[in-house]
Amino acid sequence: MLDLLKKLCLIDGISGDEHAVKDFIINEIKDFCKYNVDNLGNIICFKKGENTPNRKIMLDAHLDEVGLIISNITENGYLKFQTVGGINTAALMLRRVLINGKINGVIGGKPFHLLDADSRKKLPKTDDLYIDIGAKTRKEAEKLVCLGDSAVIVSDFEILGDCVKSKALDDRIGCLVLIKLLKEYKKYDFYATFTVQEEVGLRGAKTAAFSVKPDFAIALDSTTAADIAGTPEDSKVCTQGKGVAVSFMDKATIYDKSLYNAAINSGILCQPKSAVAGGNNAGSIHLSGEGVRTLALSAPCRYIHSANSIVNIKDIESMLSLTKYMLENIANENIK
Amino acid sequence: MEIKELLYTLSELDSIGSITEASDKAYEILSKYADTKKYDTLNVIGKIKGKTDYTIMLDAHIDQIGFVVTDVDENGFLSVATVGGVDLRALPSKAVTVHGKEKITAVFCSTPPHLAKGDIEYDDITKIKLDTALGEKAKDIVSVGDYVTFSDKCFDLQGHKVCGRSFDDRAGVVCLLEVARRLSGKELPVNVVFALSSGEEVGLRGTTTAAFTINPQEAIAVDVDFGDSPDVSTNDSSPLGNGGIIGISPVLDKNLSQKLIDTAKENNIPYSVAVLGGRTSTDADMISISRDGVKTSTLSIPLRNMHSSVEILDLSDIYAVCDLLEKYILKGGVLGA
Repeated sequence: MLDLLKKLCLIDGISGDEHAVKDFIINEIKDFCKYNVDNLGNIICFKKGENTPNRKIMLDAHLDEVGLIISNITENGYLKFQTVGGINTAALMLRRVLINGKINGVIGGKPFHLLDADSRKKLPKTDDLYIDIGAKTRKEAEKLVCLGDSAVIVSDFEILGDCVKSKALDDRIGCLVLIKLLKEYKKYDFYATFTVQEEVGLRGAKTAAFSVKPDFAIALDSTTAADIAGTPEDSKVCTQGKGVAVSFMDKATIYDKSLYNAAINSGILCQPKSAVAGGNNAGSIHLSGEGVRTLALSAPCRYIHSANSIVNIKDIESMLSLTKYMLENIANENIK
Repeated sequence: MEIKELLYTLSELDSIGSITEASDKAYEILSKYADTKKYDTLNVIGKIKGKTDYTIMLDAHIDQIGFVVTDVDENGFLSVATVGGVDLRALPSKAVTVHGKEKITAVFCSTPPHLAKGDIEYDDITKIKLDTALGEKAKDIVSVGDYVTFSDKCFDLQGHKVCGRSFDDRAGVVCLLEVARRLSGKELPVNVVFALSSGEEVGLRGTTTAAFTINPQEAIAVDVDFGDSPDVSTNDSSPLGNGGIIGISPVLDKNLSQKLIDTAKENNIPYSVAVLGGRTSTDADMISISRDGVKTSTLSIPLRNMHSSVEILDLSDIYAVCDLLEKYILKGGVLGA
């Protein structure tokens, strides 16, 4: 499982440039289900099971990750950029980036020795940052990089104790769970959607849900785990190692309460997401067509939207178990 | 070993406090070319004898910036203090290596988005915790006093530019090792002593005893200096790719600096000049006041993003520094040049 997660995380695929992740996933799942790719680049899969439930169920995870897009090249060969998605802008300074998966660069900064005391304390504005690829002139840089090219912050995938540390855990964990279900789950029919452009406004899920027209949906994603040193108990959102986080409400969705209750009372290790914050593809899916009864299960993720996010492996297993449980209990109508 | 390979190898090893991976490797290499000894001060000093008693000391510091662990809590979070000057703004969500009973990776905490209210100030290392993700097991591996270093690997940029951690001052160490290789076995007009000094980043400490031990007539500190970048004024920096930077300052020997300039000109070696109004913040500041005084200058490699894990230099500058040092010493230093 972790080998597959590592491969998924290390593919670069910022919003709007998800094709490499899409191709990898199609190759993984093509022998296990029917699939098509829609006009935005969403992969929409149908997995035929042993039984066809009366209810159409859609499981969703997003393909894209946060990153940077090259927006200008200066006369001296430095690249200016815009952020894509809510990347943690506190974690941009003095990092290695990879442009188009092949050109090395560094987000530079003025040496702090040369800053006055006040400037030393404050992060530079993102607009003032630049990427240094070592080119001396605009002409030299233009041979290697085009406006609109994608860049990601480089990091390694590592196992730290019971946890994984990587970029793009948001939401390749969701992708991993979907891939595993497509390969292994046989009892009931279900739809799985791998969607684009979540990080720039839950956009891919909108067209995917339109195509699938589900009765029920489960969005699989990641959420902030603020269970770190110095955070007051009531601001932690969720705690690593206590299972997948189940949302009752966030900034995009008020969730179906009977689905929430069924998940929380399933007996599978899980926890409520105890803050009304953030949002995920459920926000688009639950408003699709005449409305969709929707649940969100999120992996508790420290340092989310940075290149070194940390997730507990137990919580990934919990997401897989609880997704399977909910799929089954929606399909067999145990959940009214 | 090629210059680049040597730079990458030494930079990806760590020398901080009692950790001596880089100095052990440098010792092994320097021993091939010079009569080399390790000292309790963690200095590595190698001597190539010449025809006279006149001694030129070439100095580069082997230590690097980093952190030391000051507390390990029951949830696996570490408190650290800085070792040398570290830019705290570059730490949020940064992965680093903790040199505990084994080497482990840990990540500096960043403020979760829902708790970030306005500008967060990065002015106090005691407020920035380090997450081992090991929970209570962290105490089994990490102890107070363990060192923490950046873990970034070196990589190539365009042209001859390369990027990595600890180029300050492994770049200088590489120059010294290359000059030792070139001079080894040659008949030299003077003694050359190579000092790979410890503790520069915490106050020019290793070189203080190294200079006393070596007792040179003259010295050149080979370190890094600010390279050009879009947000640094040309007054504070020198361009990458234009050779080494020869220092001129009230605390340096003007004659020695001039002889370096003359030697560069005579041999068509690129160089630039940086003028400072006082101390240089390099080992030269201490060497020059060792014993009854030492004629000292600086020769620096321009470096972008100094004291970060992504320092950038141009390899052609390392070659230019090596060429200049080699020619200068073959001429016998300040008396002969």
